[in-house]
Amino acid sequence: MSSALDLSLREQAAAIAAGEVDPGELLGAALERIAERNPALNAVVETFPERSREMLEAAPAGPLHGVPIVIKDEWPLPWRAQRFGAAEMLAPTAPGESGPYRALRDAGAVIVGVGNMHELGASSTGSISVYGPARNPWDPERCPGGSSSGPAAAVAARLTAGAVGADGIGSIRYPAAYCGLTGLKPTFGRSAMEGHHMAGVSTTIVSGPLCADAGDCRLLGSVLFGEELRRGEPQGLRIGVIGGDVSADVEPAVREACATAVEDLRRATGAEVREVELPELEAATLATVLIANSESLGGITPERLNDLDPELSPIGRGLLKYRVLLPAIATIKSQQVRTLARRTLAALFEKVDLLVCPTVPAVAPPLEAPIVELPSGTLTADEANVRGGALANLTGIPAISVPVGSSEGLPIALQLQAAWGRDELLLDVAEAIERANGRRWVDAVPPPARGAEALEA
Amino acid sequence: MEHSTSADDFIPAGLAAYGIEADEIELAVIQAAHQTFWPPILELLALDTSGIPAERAPDLSQAPPSR
Repeated sequence: MSSALDLSLREQAAAIAAGEVDPGELLGAALERIAERNPALNAVVETFPERSREMLEAAPAGPLHGVPIVIKDEWPLPWRAQRFGAAEMLAPTAPGESGPYRALRDAGAVIVGVGNMHELGASSTGSISVYGPARNPWDPERCPGGSSSGPAAAVAARLTAGAVGADGIGSIRYPAAYCGLTGLKPTFGRSAMEGHHMAGVSTTIVSGPLCADAGDCRLLGSVLFGEELRRGEPQGLRIGVIGGDVSADVEPAVREACATAVEDLRRATGAEVREVELPELEAATLATVLIANSESLGGITPERLNDLDPELSPIGRGLLKYRVLLPAIATIKSQQVRTLARRTLAALFEKVDLLVCPTVPAVAPPLEAPIVELPSGTLTADEANVRGGALANLTGIPAISVPVGSSEGLPIALQLQAAWGRDELLLDVAEAIERANGRRWVDAVPPPARGAEALEA
Repeated sequence: MEHSTSADDFIPAGLAAYGIEADEIELAVIQAAHQTFWPPILELLALDTSGIPAERAPDLSQAPPSR
């Protein structure tokens, strides 16, 4: 049965503003749908109906007035401290008004639940969480992607039409790719970040939207940015397809779907397409991991590491302890690599408007064994995914993941990256891709969503 | 001198130097991480970056200033 919950984010907002949908009924429907669909997905780890109703009663007439939203377990709320998907965090936390919370509240949105996430934000898979893993609505035995696993699974299953995630190394784009959504990693510093336990320390993490399509990401992104992300019409684009492993060492179906999307875009916009080399990409990928890991070390002492909560996963405990052994010189070198990568990109963006590559090289792997088979051999999903995800976080540029195909009934995604501050261009191009393929992939919904249509390759 | 990616010496010695304890499973995780990260770290360290001063407090919201 059709429900207002199946409308897009912008349609929900417009219908409420026009008096066609009662926001109280929509909130009730969202809570009912979470109760109905979430047990199989574990996407939402907590609801708080009274708090949600209070938000609605106090909601101003903003662009998301009365619209239910899920927020990742990475952001504190006035009534709840974030848990970061973990039994224990090394940074102090407390309930409070995070930047994304304030942005949503001031836009009139209603936070209906907290989205699951990978433990400590430490993987692209979403396979480990103190709450148990979220599951991919396209196949509950598959990874939903991480670390914003719950927000992505929630939107894919149409529990809400939008969710707020966070992206430190691809953590919005990976789950968007695995769950068939559009996910925007904003330019560093452009979206709300206050109140995050790493705010002021992290140089890689940003908040961002996960939605079905680019139009909804534009709306939710505008709220998180605190400014309207204006629509433009991309014409005469210069597209650089990133060469090397990030585009070549991928599943054949991924390569084919991404090539088709680029060709569709070329035809639709009169774009000029060429391959570009990024010789620093491999070093940049490692540099991102080392910088992000070193930035999270502030709260660590040997005593603390010897007294970790036993409910923290063995992988989480082991990786925390390994971080201490990483040599400082490698972090210094990583900062130099960052400088080099930023200079290279600045020069490259004089010649191209967009850099494109597959968001991830393979469809969502099994939760029980998050490994992927690539032409070069078997890799962990994390090793494979970070190749495409890290550069934007290292350098600060914006990136977006757009669904462009499927294989084995699982979504495939293309990543677009642009120069600093050109987030609007990414949304414009994502919309051009949607038009070029007849919205085939953004309108596809997974089996748990009512009225589901089959996703056929 | 040959580099070793074996964690036989590095990991126990490193953890002991900090007084950090690790059980068998944690040690296996640490060794797996070391096997993944150490070879590229050595490649990173071998890069000649002497001509690339790191940006001081880079403004990551913008392109780097042109030199």
